[in-house]
Amino acid sequence: MTEKERKWKCGKCSQVLTLQKVVFDYLGHTFSHEVPACPKCGQVFISKELAEGRIAELEEELEDK
Amino acid sequence: MIKLEDATAYTERCIHGEPASCSYACPFHLDVRSFMERAAAGKWARAYKQLREATVFPFIVSVLCDQPCRKRCQRTLLGDEAIAMRDVEAACVRYVKNRKPQSYAIPPKQERIAVVGAGVAGLSCALNLAQKKFNVTVFEKADTWGGALRDHDRFAEFADEFELQFSAVKVDFRYNTGITSLEELAEYDAVYVATGEGGESFGLLESWNPELFTTAENKVFLGGMLTGATLMESIAQGILVSKIIEGYLQTGRAALTPDMQYDKNYCGRYLDHEDAVSVPLVVASSPDGYTEEEAKQEAARCLLCDCDKCMAACEMLKRFKKTPKMIAVEVFADTQVNPPYSTRSLTRQAYSCNICGYCKSICPEDVDIGSLLQLSRRVRMNAGVHPAALHDFWLREMDFATAGGSYTAAPRGKNNCEYAFFPGCQLGAANPEYVLKAYAYLDEKYDCGIMLTCCGAPAYWAGDDKRMEDNLQNIREGWEKLGKPVLVFACATCESLFKQFLPEIERISLYELLARDDSIVPARPFAAAAVFDPCNARGEEGMQQGVRKLAEKAGIAVEELKEKNRCCGYGGHIRVANPSLYDEIAHNRVRASEKPYVVYCVNCREVFSLKDKEAVHVLDMVFGTGSSDRLPTLQEKRENSLEVKKKLMSGIEGTEFTPEKHDWDDLVLLIDEETQKEMEQKLISAGDLKEAIWLAETTGKKFFDESDGMCLASMVKPVITYWVQYKEAGPKTYQIHNAYYHRIRIREEE
Repeated sequence: MTEKERKWKCGKCSQVLTLQKVVFDYLGHTFSHEVPACPKCGQVFISKELAEGRIAELEEELEDK
Repeated sequence: MIKLEDATAYTERCIHGEPASCSYACPFHLDVRSFMERAAAGKWARAYKQLREATVFPFIVSVLCDQPCRKRCQRTLLGDEAIAMRDVEAACVRYVKNRKPQSYAIPPKQERIAVVGAGVAGLSCALNLAQKKFNVTVFEKADTWGGALRDHDRFAEFADEFELQFSAVKVDFRYNTGITSLEELAEYDAVYVATGEGGESFGLLESWNPELFTTAENKVFLGGMLTGATLMESIAQGILVSKIIEGYLQTGRAALTPDMQYDKNYCGRYLDHEDAVSVPLVVASSPDGYTEEEAKQEAARCLLCDCDKCMAACEMLKRFKKTPKMIAVEVFADTQVNPPYSTRSLTRQAYSCNICGYCKSICPEDVDIGSLLQLSRRVRMNAGVHPAALHDFWLREMDFATAGGSYTAAPRGKNNCEYAFFPGCQLGAANPEYVLKAYAYLDEKYDCGIMLTCCGAPAYWAGDDKRMEDNLQNIREGWEKLGKPVLVFACATCESLFKQFLPEIERISLYELLARDDSIVPARPFAAAAVFDPCNARGEEGMQQGVRKLAEKAGIAVEELKEKNRCCGYGGHIRVANPSLYDEIAHNRVRASEKPYVVYCVNCREVFSLKDKEAVHVLDMVFGTGSSDRLPTLQEKRENSLEVKKKLMSGIEGTEFTPEKHDWDDLVLLIDEETQKEMEQKLISAGDLKEAIWLAETTGKKFFDESDGMCLASMVKPVITYWVQYKEAGPKTYQIHNAYYHRIRIREEE
């Protein structure tokens, strides 16, 4: 099974994750993006791929500002 | 907040981009460097334009200049002949396709200027003023122009030059018109008296100001061979006077603007040209002068003297391609931004500097870019606009070393001591035996206590003044408690920070003490090796010589590296801010010598070990501790530090040290080699993963996959969000599958 095929569920609510708009903060910059999260408690899921890909790029861009 | 001058003060002595020594010697202050660059490329039109603008009469200068520049040509430092300046100029005049002077579209001016004398001084002034569209009248008692040049063999050619250069301007020449009294010129707004050697001075020579060319007579200026100037100086003076007169007509005051001021002393400012190759003078194949190709070759001999030592040597400066002065302006500008309307331009560079001081050590003017970028970090930290995640890992390590890992004690049964060992936080973390064996030795030989703590380097490099000062205060108090002993250092970074911030504390290097002891015969891991001096050992003779003596005692043939005290890459904690630069620097240091290294900084040793460079810590040679063992993990480093403290405490006080206990300490993590390597590279410690798992398992706040029981949990600490993917492998035992982090914060639900 690849990491992408995993069916993650919220550990607290046992809910299947759905895409939800989540607000991110970094160095005074705020923006929102759709990421998987628990539809009940809102716990946000960030995959390794996202963290080390797009998020890392964005972090560097914002640090440079 | 800082002012612009606070930043530019760091680089005001930088001479990059300033004229070369030859230009300071040139009466016209010609930018010889760029002239030669253009000539070497055969760009005759651009070279000629430059020569024409600087000298007004390029042909005459190319024939008659006495070339004071050649006496200041830095090629002579290599034993070569100076660049044949005049011959290259002559070639430029010969090979340029179009010498027709340009006419400038400037509105005509009302002011009228009288020039007395049509020699080179008067003509150069008249030509320049006429180009600016002033109304210029030249009075000459003879029947033609040229002054002293009229007797020259080549006067016909010089007269052609005057004809050519005056062809695009309007000047009223009045020949056969001697001026006997200045009253005749009362209607003019300014007068330039340039009547040649022994010419009429209207009694103004005594009141003549050689800097501004003014006289007691308001509006009357005086210069040229009348004042004893040479022919070339006379042309140059005419040009300068034209500018002073222009300013005088605009403001009513004669003054020199900064671009007119040249400090002749700088013509002795030479650079070292250690890598330059000797090239002989190009000899013209014809008596008429250089062919075009020969002239280009001769111009190419110019060393284009400009100081770029720091920018050529430092990987960081090379990568960001900014001059020191530009960096200073940006350090200030970055404090003025108002995001998102304006953004910073220096962040990555400011946090990519090793602050190793190498730039300063090779700068002829001692300009210190590291301190400048350190200022940027400090200002941003104080203003709370720093990228905290770039230094967070090391600041947390510092917190650990100054709290749980710290320990200060006098020797057994005593309250104070003559010496105290300050090993620094990383030595024991790398290998507890380094500290334990060194202390055992010092305890036996000297009245020596111990100070286990961090010197504050992480705070210093992060620009955290407050944390730095608090830590210094704690160190000071501990030192006073021990009766102000001499501190024995094993880490060059600690020693350099003490030198800077705690100068009242007397210091000595552990290596110097060990080297003094004839009973010590260090092991000989290599027949020959290079000593790799850490950046912070620069100027620390005791430390540097101590290590060399120990290496020699071991029988190692010691090689000296060409570049001294370069940073291994670790300095300034740039690894998170700029991983690829860190890697490049480490790569270059490893290749500074083919021989293995003897090092005396555990950070250097770690960096080299990760690059598979054979390197041994000098303490391994002295105490027989194993340097070839695998590097400890981040978690093991902390455990090593605690072990050092535990053993020292037990030995000195006979008490058992119990480190602070956490609920997650008992968890067992199973981490395969590849994941561990990835964690080390990302600076994720097993301790943090244990805490994240413990939190997830006790609160249920995690994600899970029913198909195989895989879990994923995250923890924010304090600015970084760590994620761990794991599976339960037994009671309180977890197999780690992945560990990663991000710096962006997910905004919690309101």
